[in-house]
Amino acid sequence: MSAEIAIGRKGRAAGRHGAFGDAAFKTLTLAFAVLVLVVLAGVIASLVLGAAPALEHFGFNFLITEAWNPVTEKFGALAPVYGTLVTSAIAMLIGIPVAFGIALFITELCPNWLKRPLSIMIELLAAIPSIIYGIWGLFVLAPFVQEHIEPALIDTLGAVPGIGLLFQGPPLGIGVLTAGFILAIMVLPFISAVMRDVFETVPAVLGESTYALGATTSEVVWRVVLPYARIGVFGGILLGLGRALGETMAVTFVIGNAHHIHASLLQPGTTISAALANEFTEAVGDLYLSSLIALGLILFVITFIVLALAKLLLIRLEKQAGS
Amino acid sequence: MNSPTARPLATEPDSPDRASDDTAPPRQPRRPLAAPPIAALVQRKPGDEAPKTAMPDVKADVRHVNFFYGKFQALHDISVPLYDRRVTAFIGPSGCGKSTLLRILNRIYELYPGQTATGEVILDGENILMPGLDLNRLRAKIGMVFQKPTPFPMAIYDNIAFGIRLYEKVSKSELDDRVESALRRAALWDEVKDKLRDSGLSLSGGQQQRLCIARAIAIEPEVLLLDEPASALDPISTQRIEELIAELKADYCIAMVTHNMQQAARSSDYTAFLYLGELVEFDETETIFTHPRVRRTEDYITGRFG
Repeated sequence: MSAEIAIGRKGRAAGRHGAFGDAAFKTLTLAFAVLVLVVLAGVIASLVLGAAPALEHFGFNFLITEAWNPVTEKFGALAPVYGTLVTSAIAMLIGIPVAFGIALFITELCPNWLKRPLSIMIELLAAIPSIIYGIWGLFVLAPFVQEHIEPALIDTLGAVPGIGLLFQGPPLGIGVLTAGFILAIMVLPFISAVMRDVFETVPAVLGESTYALGATTSEVVWRVVLPYARIGVFGGILLGLGRALGETMAVTFVIGNAHHIHASLLQPGTTISAALANEFTEAVGDLYLSSLIALGLILFVITFIVLALAKLLLIRLEKQAGS
Repeated sequence: MNSPTARPLATEPDSPDRASDDTAPPRQPRRPLAAPPIAALVQRKPGDEAPKTAMPDVKADVRHVNFFYGKFQALHDISVPLYDRRVTAFIGPSGCGKSTLLRILNRIYELYPGQTATGEVILDGENILMPGLDLNRLRAKIGMVFQKPTPFPMAIYDNIAFGIRLYEKVSKSELDDRVESALRRAALWDEVKDKLRDSGLSLSGGQQQRLCIARAIAIEPEVLLLDEPASALDPISTQRIEELIAELKADYCIAMVTHNMQQAARSSDYTAFLYLGELVEFDETETIFTHPRVRRTEDYITGRFG
């Protein structure tokens, strides 16, 4: 009995110490959180300051000029912005359906013994450094694309009026399309891992009650699992998009790094991050350097807009779901 | 909420507050505050032909069914008839296999690898455990309602229309009618008729469960399986579900799993008592609750174990 009381007293005394500890801990964690905001503000400030000379010199034209000529010091962001958006779009176009298929297979159809190995292997795709993707892209994927995929595309889709414009010119192997392929492979593990996790949160009994109505697996997936999981699926897609927009190394290897905009996806292009990686070391002259920083600022703004849009859409979706 | 298992009950001489109750349909007496003896709850409806004299048709006949989760045998040689237009309750302690038995009837267990059933379940002269049977057709014939309400993540209207659209091509106006009649029969129409476009998830738990029942009956099944349909609900919602069961009985063969002895006594015509995967006793509900033949049944329904 007396032992219990002693423990009780000790506990209370410890509680008083804990109150002080709590306050200190709270301050500490708050400081960390504030630190992140300070760093963020610092990054934005230095980007804006660094980009200011170029933006003052070129004004709004910087955004809509394709030219990028270090000799005459005429710089415009249109080509890298276009390249960034188009490569990401290709990556999403290929990556989303494949990732969806993978996630679906793992959660709904895969035999149990295969589930874990398959999941792990796909997650390992994310562990491959992007420089490896770049080398592999340059020496393996690009020649393959050049020899097999691009000629086929030129012969088939290239002949179609309209979208045929996207598949014109010689098959170079290096270009926007190949960069899109690489990006698609790179975003795959992110999107499919998130989708798989989200599908697994769908209560088993919800699937059961759909099957109990006589629905087939595909009906269950399209009509119930996907709508139930749509917010998470959307989140996974955005995660992949964010990665695709900013990916540097692999893209730099295979995109060709040409500051031109071609209608054809088979031609070389560049992206913002590829241009930055390539040219920072050789940027002589303040205007050149400032133009590169301005590109960085634009990338920052693009990612910000994408994330903001995503957040907005998610809020709308949540409201629609009504719960 | 009343305890799900029956205690030795404090007897209350014929519940006095029954008369004050004028909102409820007269078929089902509202649950009194203190539970009366279970035997007193067994329904005897005036004017209804007693099951004793006119034997109803057997809708589904479970014959010598065994069930395995992997190597573990969960059901041993179960044989039990399910009568048409009657409610059969399955009672027994947790893990006795009553839900498992229900899940055999629409073969929903087959979603999971390693679960197998042997024996026969004859539905309308056809063994539904036969391999190669069209499972989707079978499940369209046998509606199921689960313990937890499971509205689909879509509008109330679409929750009901979903199952109809799976199998039938119907016009918009006919679909509207079918949705309305299903919601009416599930006693939900008046509460949702002005918000059919709202998400099914926006409803309360009791409403969601009635939505699930409406969804199940909208495809006009022949058998309705209810797996503890009211156990996650408050007493008022529970009572509405029980009233609903009493009404639906006119058209369906209903099999219901319940942990609530009083619910079994009130709502069912036949009761099967399962224990450790074996069928201990099956009889008319009145007999089970008043003169059980097996000692273990009596112990269970009076709350001496379980």
